[in-house]
Amino acid sequence: MRKTFLIFAFFIAIIANVPGQGLGSPGTIKDDGRFAASTKQLNQFFRRFNGEESIDGTVRFYPGDPLYRNIPLRKGFLNILFDNQTSSVSPDLKNQFIQNALSEVYPNYLVFHREGWYAEVETDFIFKGKKEKATLFMKIQPEGLGYEWVIDQVKFEPFKNLFNKPVGDKKDFLHPLSHELGFMNLRRAFQDSNSPESFTPTSYKPDYLAIFLYEMKQNNLRFVTVTGLKFHFFQIQGWYFEVNQFNRPGFNTGWLISNLVRLGPGDKETILKYIYDQE
Amino acid sequence: MNNKLLLFLGLFLSASLVATAQDNISPARKQAIDSLALEKVKDLSKYISIIGSKETQFSEANRVMDRAEELFAPGAEMGVSSINTQEIAYYKVRRYFERLMALNYDRVNITWYDIQYISDLERQPDGRYVGVITIYQRFEGTSIETGMNYKDTTKKDITIYVEKKQTQIAGRTIEFWDVMLGDVRVTETSA
Repeated sequence: MRKTFLIFAFFIAIIANVPGQGLGSPGTIKDDGRFAASTKQLNQFFRRFNGEESIDGTVRFYPGDPLYRNIPLRKGFLNILFDNQTSSVSPDLKNQFIQNALSEVYPNYLVFHREGWYAEVETDFIFKGKKEKATLFMKIQPEGLGYEWVIDQVKFEPFKNLFNKPVGDKKDFLHPLSHELGFMNLRRAFQDSNSPESFTPTSYKPDYLAIFLYEMKQNNLRFVTVTGLKFHFFQIQGWYFEVNQFNRPGFNTGWLISNLVRLGPGDKETILKYIYDQE
Repeated sequence: MNNKLLLFLGLFLSASLVATAQDNISPARKQAIDSLALEKVKDLSKYISIIGSKETQFSEANRVMDRAEELFAPGAEMGVSSINTQEIAYYKVRRYFERLMALNYDRVNITWYDIQYISDLERQPDGRYVGVITIYQRFEGTSIETGMNYKDTTKKDITIYVEKKQTQIAGRTIEFWDVMLGDVRVTETSA
């Protein structure tokens, strides 16, 4: 803890002494180091995590630069990339993660264009005249000459109870010799039942995104605003972490790791299932 | 707008006169593009200060708004949120400036922190590059009648679009990198 504090203090001391480039005009306000210390963009989170920029963020290091991915530089950055005020990540777990990322044999880096990280965007929509929250899960994909963010999944409460397939005795079914009757009993299935999903395979999973887009095309859904954003990372082998934006006084602000989990076999799928909440 | 400076920078950035059709931006070129983008952001900052100042005449403020609007790609919006609400209010750039001009303070002082952050440039599907410049602004407004004094510090994340363009000078085709500003996210900070 003391070590972390010393590293943090060291960073702040250096940042505070860096002459700001400023916007040029004489009336500029001198930053006391807080904005310099803040991880201002997710881009800066990537660069700091990988050790690809100077302490004050004004110089980008490229392959071939002596300080590019320099281990002591990365170590300093990794220590300040955690939410040190409200997060419940234990110092021991944090240190294990940092050691893992800094491994001399197999160092771990974040790659912007690689799969394994997602944005979770909280939004407000008007659905059939009522304000509703929708969570969009976004990912980066190659497209045309570059890249784009796309909606991978959606979580939308009004759809949650749309498909409640009954189980056991309560579940309607088409008996196994229905084919001999030319499926004439479909009439009963579709007209008499409130749960047409009863007649779908066990493996059936509703595609909420398709329904969401359909409702939008029908003008039943109208976008209002974005209310929140966070990121989920699975790019570091054996680890999951969440990155949130902290807008508060002090030096430990901006995009920071707020949650960290060491992954065992099958844990990634469990966490993804939990995050996407598509059941 | 310092047109001469922009022209100079544009020429400076010109891809060694009809360069090969290279798509990657080298670190040196990136640095030059950053400088050009920062010039535009400085212009925007200057314009915002003029528009927000109560000493600026209405006609002059309108002229400056025109200049400021020219910095932006068509359709650019300002997305504004405060500490109290995460909800983003969207304004077209011109509307944002008009709201700024119409603020009911007798004295308005807009200043900028000596810190900024420039992201990497990422290529988008249409081949243009996109980046984000982050700056911090201090706003102070005083109403003499009520004695009210309002202060805030906002973080402005400004989209920049970077595109390789061509022009003809003395019969020769010259390629240069042009920068336009795009959507701006304005967030009130706790500072």
